[in-house]
Amino acid sequence: MNPTALEAASLGRRYGGKWALRDCSLSLPTARVVALVGPNGAGKTTLLHLATGLLQPTSGSIRILGEMPGANPDILGRVGFVAQDMPLYRSFTVSEMLLLGEKMNRTWDMNLALDRIESLDIPLTQKIGTLSGGQRSQVSLGMALAKRPELLLLDEPLASLDPLARRDFLSALMESVADDGVSVVLSSHLVTDLERVCDHLVVLRNGRVAVDGEIASLLRSHRLVSGPRHTGSLNGVGQVIDRTDTDRQTIALVRTDGPVLDPAWEVGNVDLEEIVLGYLGGRDGSAEQPLRAVKKSRSEVGS
Amino acid sequence: MIWVTWRQHRAQALATLIGLAAIGIFSLITGPRIVAAFRELHACTVVPGQDCSLLQDSFDQRFNGLQFVIPLYMVIPLLLGVFLGAPLIAREVEQGTHRLAWTQSVTRDRWALSKIGLVFGFGLAALALFAWTVTVWSGPLVDASDSRFGFGSFDLRGIAPIAYGVFALALGTAAGALIRKTLPAMAVTLGGFVVVRVFVEVFLRPRYLAAQTVSYPFLQESPRAGLGDWIIRSNIVDPTGRFVSPDGGIRVDPQALGQACPGFPRAAGLDKEQVGKCLSQLGVHTIDTFQPGNRYWLFQGIESAIFLLLAAGLVVFAIWLIRRRIY
Repeated sequence: MNPTALEAASLGRRYGGKWALRDCSLSLPTARVVALVGPNGAGKTTLLHLATGLLQPTSGSIRILGEMPGANPDILGRVGFVAQDMPLYRSFTVSEMLLLGEKMNRTWDMNLALDRIESLDIPLTQKIGTLSGGQRSQVSLGMALAKRPELLLLDEPLASLDPLARRDFLSALMESVADDGVSVVLSSHLVTDLERVCDHLVVLRNGRVAVDGEIASLLRSHRLVSGPRHTGSLNGVGQVIDRTDTDRQTIALVRTDGPVLDPAWEVGNVDLEEIVLGYLGGRDGSAEQPLRAVKKSRSEVGS
Repeated sequence: MIWVTWRQHRAQALATLIGLAAIGIFSLITGPRIVAAFRELHACTVVPGQDCSLLQDSFDQRFNGLQFVIPLYMVIPLLLGVFLGAPLIAREVEQGTHRLAWTQSVTRDRWALSKIGLVFGFGLAALALFAWTVTVWSGPLVDASDSRFGFGSFDLRGIAPIAYGVFALALGTAAGALIRKTLPAMAVTLGGFVVVRVFVEVFLRPRYLAAQTVSYPFLQESPRAGLGDWIIRSNIVDPTGRFVSPDGGIRVDPQALGQACPGFPRAAGLDKEQVGKCLSQLGVHTIDTFQPGNRYWLFQGIESAIFLLLAAGLVVFAIWLIRRRIY
């Protein structure tokens, strides 16, 4: 088994004059569920399309499972991909869709696909166009899983789902990850729901990697510190990722290997969402506004 | 890929087959009557010197009504391009399903080649059947009118309609891959096809080879009558080679003729023989510019080659777009 699911070196992709992804270097381990997070337009879809071979890089290189994406039927067969909005042939019935999967793949576990569809009570004779969003997402996931892939790439699989369908989709996903040890990279512009299923985080922002690491160690190394309002730079608290100064207070997300010893600061633990929002809100400040607003309100309530 | 392509395009395939069946049934119903009438006419015309004009008139009158099929048959190659070619790639990209197709275990090249190969193969077979049916069915009609090169005859018979259809399919496929939206791709296919067809028909076809000319006395039958020539122009000239009238035609005026030819019977009105005698006394000639009838298959070949080469270029362009520009 290859040690890396996805390896990118100085990877970049430009559309016309605009870089959608730039200087991206990543090494994602196998048998993990990787969350690829960032606001819309951050480069998540571009990265996933580069990883499936749908797109060719403008600069740098990308390898999945040690091979060039999309180069031959073998590597295509080892990767399952569910594109954004879960495209399926609308005029096909569910069973015709599965038959297409069987015809277009060398490895195809029809029993697995049929069992999944039947256990979800989706009628095989129903037309794809008449399925609900949740059902479509389950058919898409079923098709990706029936390939028995080593790597599963999912582009915004949760975006169009209501909370119940979202929960069902994630538990179906988790079940097969637990059964087969498949590596998953899953993109999302929402952070909720990800904490309980993902063990590795990549935050993309404006086409660049803002942070990349195991979630457990990210949670250990980040702290939310608050204290009286500071005007200058913050010393002795570690690397400041993001700070908010109100009239009375300064609140900051910091990255540090050791404890924060300065008694002027009140130190708190952070959750995944705060880390993500901190990285998205930092420095050049062009992150999506709603995310920033959530973060501010959360941190102020917490302090 | 065969099943996948079939499943995706079976509605169009079915519609094509229904259309072909309709044309076939229509030809079977009307065909035998045309053949019988033509046999009667032919029995007359093979006898030299026999006047068959009455028979010819009744034949023409009887089957003139069938000309309504000309515009219908003329658009059939275009229909293939619009309804089979244009959505081929465009609908996939429009609905995002190309991302599903290209991430199964079939490479993009194989996907494109199978899809294009199968649809074009089907189109080719359908067009060949169509062209053959029309060629056989209209054989007596064209023979009776001696105009194999005419509009609605050259374009609907032989191998040219097959080449038009392949071109229309390729144009639709390329337009779809370029525009990536089905409806605009259909519109571009329609417009592009009409422009290219008209351009070739009007400007190129008469010039595939240098035209020949033949000169003969006015109002006499051309020495090349019955050879199936394509008369591109017919001008009437005086002995010095100048046009008799500015447009190359002639105005027959009994007064003028009477003055020019002594002994022209003014009272008799315009007797064809007398007028002809007078005009040939004056040395008035008809000059026909024509393509000889024995160039028919050469012209069919050149015309088909033009459209097939354009089609090949468009398919290469479409595949290049699929490989490089669509994601």
